[in-house]
Amino acid sequence: MPHDSAIAITPWTWPEVTTPLAELDDTALVSAARAGNREAFDVIVERHRRVVYQVCYRFVNNHEDASDLAQDAFVRAWKGLKTFRSEAALSTWLHRIAVNVCLNRVSARTPVTEPIASTDHFEDVRIEGAQHTMIREQRAVAVRAAIACLPKKQRATLILRTYHDMSHQQIADTLGSSVGAVKANFFHALANLKKILGNEP
Amino acid sequence: MTHLTSDELIDAMDGLLGADRQAHLDSCDTCRQQLAGLSSVLAEAKQASVPDPSPMFWQHFSARVNTAIDAEGAGESAWPSWLRWQVLLPLGVVAMIILALMISVPKNDPAVDEQAAVALEAPAPSDNWLMVANLVGEIDLDDAAEAGVVVQPGLAERAVLELTAEEQQELTRLLKAELTRAKS
Repeated sequence: MPHDSAIAITPWTWPEVTTPLAELDDTALVSAARAGNREAFDVIVERHRRVVYQVCYRFVNNHEDASDLAQDAFVRAWKGLKTFRSEAALSTWLHRIAVNVCLNRVSARTPVTEPIASTDHFEDVRIEGAQHTMIREQRAVAVRAAIACLPKKQRATLILRTYHDMSHQQIADTLGSSVGAVKANFFHALANLKKILGNEP
Repeated sequence: MTHLTSDELIDAMDGLLGADRQAHLDSCDTCRQQLAGLSSVLAEAKQASVPDPSPMFWQHFSARVNTAIDAEGAGESAWPSWLRWQVLLPLGVVAMIILALMISVPKNDPAVDEQAAVALEAPAPSDNWLMVANLVGEIDLDDAAEAGVVVQPGLAERAVLELTAEEQQELTRLLKAELTRAKS
């Protein structure tokens, strides 16, 4: 005779994760992604895609190549997640990957010798509103084009130092060179930029 | 005193110049002008922001990354890296030999009388080798090379190492029998 005290067997299920992935910090996301969780990696991509894209864009100065390079950087990041050391910042590690992808893929270009634009014509001129914004954007276009013309190592050093606040030592680690070489590259990058932009007296 | 080097100018921009060199910088118009020029172009570079792509680009970016990851994964072989044709080919040759030997060994048939069964239990090794020789006898070495089935030096040894203990024992027995027959 069946009795009411029979034990009901319920299938075992994974414990419910209460914290949404988007609320996890980078370390927890990396751990989940390492375990094969692609959704966790999606969150990493979403969180860092803009900065990685910007590194690549400054290297090549066009959207098409920058988007391809940024995509490639994240593919490499996925493949190299096991090599990521959790004591380092994920953003620094992704910068390093992005820069190395750019260095490997971008061909060396000869810096242009003619000044791209001169600042003389709008110095001392008071321009307000949209006109001022337009001129500032034109100047930004000229600066980005000048950076993209720098030799690769100088370009990488300038980008990491100027836009991503990396120390000379961090840049040296990223590029596999010495602090002295990084300082020399940074100096020559600025000197070349000054020359290209026509600021040279 | 000498002018600041490129390293020192970068240190000066970071505010890390030593006291004696800072004293030189304070008194040297040339170094001050050079530093001002570098600082000016750096300030200008900092203002040059990257144009933001369209929101639609970001919507599709993660999907693009995932597709690329899947494509990379599909491109990678499911076979272990050491298991390539250079290993599989000699292994295949050895497997064919073993298969031929197994086929040549008669199975127990209840219809066969005991005397015949005893006679069939231990076929002469030379018969096996004869059959293998017949199988490959018409293949010319040049034809084999052209077909890409010539074993490279060292690969046969590696293939033998892949055999199980029983297979190695059987191969040893066959080789010994063949050597004994050749001597006699």
